Amino acid sequence: MTATVSIETLNAPPPRRRRTGPGKWTWLLLAVIAGILLVWEAAVSWLHLVPAAFLPPPTAVLASFLELLVDPEFWQAFAFSMQNLLIGLVLAVVVGVAVGLAVGWSPVLRFTVAPFLWLLYSTPKVALAPLFILVLGLGNESKIALVFLLAVFPIILNTMEGAVTVPASLVNASRVYGVNGLALGWKVILPATLPYSLAGIQRGAALGFTGEVLGEFLGGTGGLGHMLEFAAYQFQMDEAIAMVIVMVIIANLTLTLISVLRKRLAPWYDDRQIMGRS
Amino acid sequence: MSVLFATGGPRVARGGLAGWLAGLSTGGRAAVIAVEVFVVLLLWQLIVGYWGIINPVFFPPPLAIAQGFAEIVANGSLAANAAVSAQAWLTGFTIAVIVGIPVGLLMGASLPVDKVVGPIAWTIYATPAIAYQPLAKAWFGFGIGPVIFLVVISALFPIMLNIAAGMRTTSPSLLRAARVYGGSQLDLYRRVFLPSTVPFLFAGLRQAVVLATIGMVVAELSGSSSGMGALIIRAANTYQTDQAFAAIGVVVCWSVGMTGLVTLIERRVAPWTRKARR
Repeated sequence: MTATVSIETLNAPPPRRRRTGPGKWTWLLLAVIAGILLVWEAAVSWLHLVPAAFLPPPTAVLASFLELLVDPEFWQAFAFSMQNLLIGLVLAVVVGVAVGLAVGWSPVLRFTVAPFLWLLYSTPKVALAPLFILVLGLGNESKIALVFLLAVFPIILNTMEGAVTVPASLVNASRVYGVNGLALGWKVILPATLPYSLAGIQRGAALGFTGEVLGEFLGGTGGLGHMLEFAAYQFQMDEAIAMVIVMVIIANLTLTLISVLRKRLAPWYDDRQIMGRS
Repeated sequence: MSVLFATGGPRVARGGLAGWLAGLSTGGRAAVIAVEVFVVLLLWQLIVGYWGIINPVFFPPPLAIAQGFAEIVANGSLAANAAVSAQAWLTGFTIAVIVGIPVGLLMGASLPVDKVVGPIAWTIYATPAIAYQPLAKAWFGFGIGPVIFLVVISALFPIMLNIAAGMRTTSPSLLRAARVYGGSQLDLYRRVFLPSTVPFLFAGLRQAVVLATIGMVVAELSGSSSGMGALIIRAANTYQTDQAFAAIGVVVCWSVGMTGLVTLIERRVAPWTRKARR
């Protein structure tokens, strides 16, 4: 029966689905989440199936979360991490888009440089983290460099792919109207590539976040990652889980922000074209 | 690699070097790339190894890395750590496949499940797995447990969400056609949903291989006494960076090899997909 429902919905014209859809499902989702939290709370604090030291109940996690929000130490760590992440990401975006456009546009560069970029892209670069700490020390520099290194390749390769797939008719049309050289890149190639770049930036941001947190795990005295690891190390699980929730919120907010940006800057672009691409 | 050999893209007049490269046969292209790789390795060796422009401790030349590889093979640390890593990776990946495929199918088949599990899964997936690492360490101790946990968390969601997306994007006209010809519910699943979901499954598996490797390395780097990540960080901390780079090379080979294996399997069991036809 449920299967029939789904097929029916796929066949239904979109407007009808949108009218009856979101509200109902949001309520169902909230109900399920509330149910999970209730079971969790019941299992830990009422039935004592799991020791509270191991998995603190949601109420304890919420209390720690609220405590964190008024803790100046937390905001200091937050500022530290976000500053490194932002600097690294901005560098990665500037370099990534420039290199991606150049390599995507020039057949010679694409032939000579692209294979190396693909190789570096598919390398698990997190493995280089200890070497970065070794070379650049425990301070900000090693984390910024790590964020940059992890974030730059998805941006380069997505931009490259975007630049390659710019419709030839678009380029020819602008040539006819006398747009050439740098102006062509700025007015035609860049806007046409933008949605791809933003998809790359989205992935790059997630990887950069990994770099920042890993850098703080491996060495350093500040930042959210360090705070999280310290809490877990002291077995203050309520604070540790609250920190994880903070990170979940940060990561999801960043991704949402970039999606919104993509919809604003390139509303003609269909998300699904990127999904399912490996 | 699709971009690399793409002959499409913006059609611009290609003269000189670009024209020559475009006219090469597949074998000729491979030869040019091989020469290029050789030149890069040679330059690397010269700049770091002989002229000493960069400190070889930070960025060891290729010959030193080869020597480091021989060292970790000879003292047995590579075999021991690689075995631990491979075990954790394979266990985690198998769990992710066993859980991910049925849940993904369920999400694709039933709209309520999709609307409830989907947002939760996306939220967890959007957060880099490293955020969950300290919790895993606190819950599963310092052995192989947290590594398996991180591999599962990293690999599960790409598999699950890709399958769900594949089921959802099955062409409605194909479904209608199948029903017009009197296909039963079972036929619909076997002959329409399955063939159009399989490419998504393999795309998800390929993403999962890369993410699982990153998860494994991250878990082993921060708080594990054995495995490739532990080998890398131990070598780096004792300034034997040549060994660290050799170990990183092994991890890269594993990631690339596993991705290749997935594509090979895809070619055998699902020859109708886009990737398999290449």
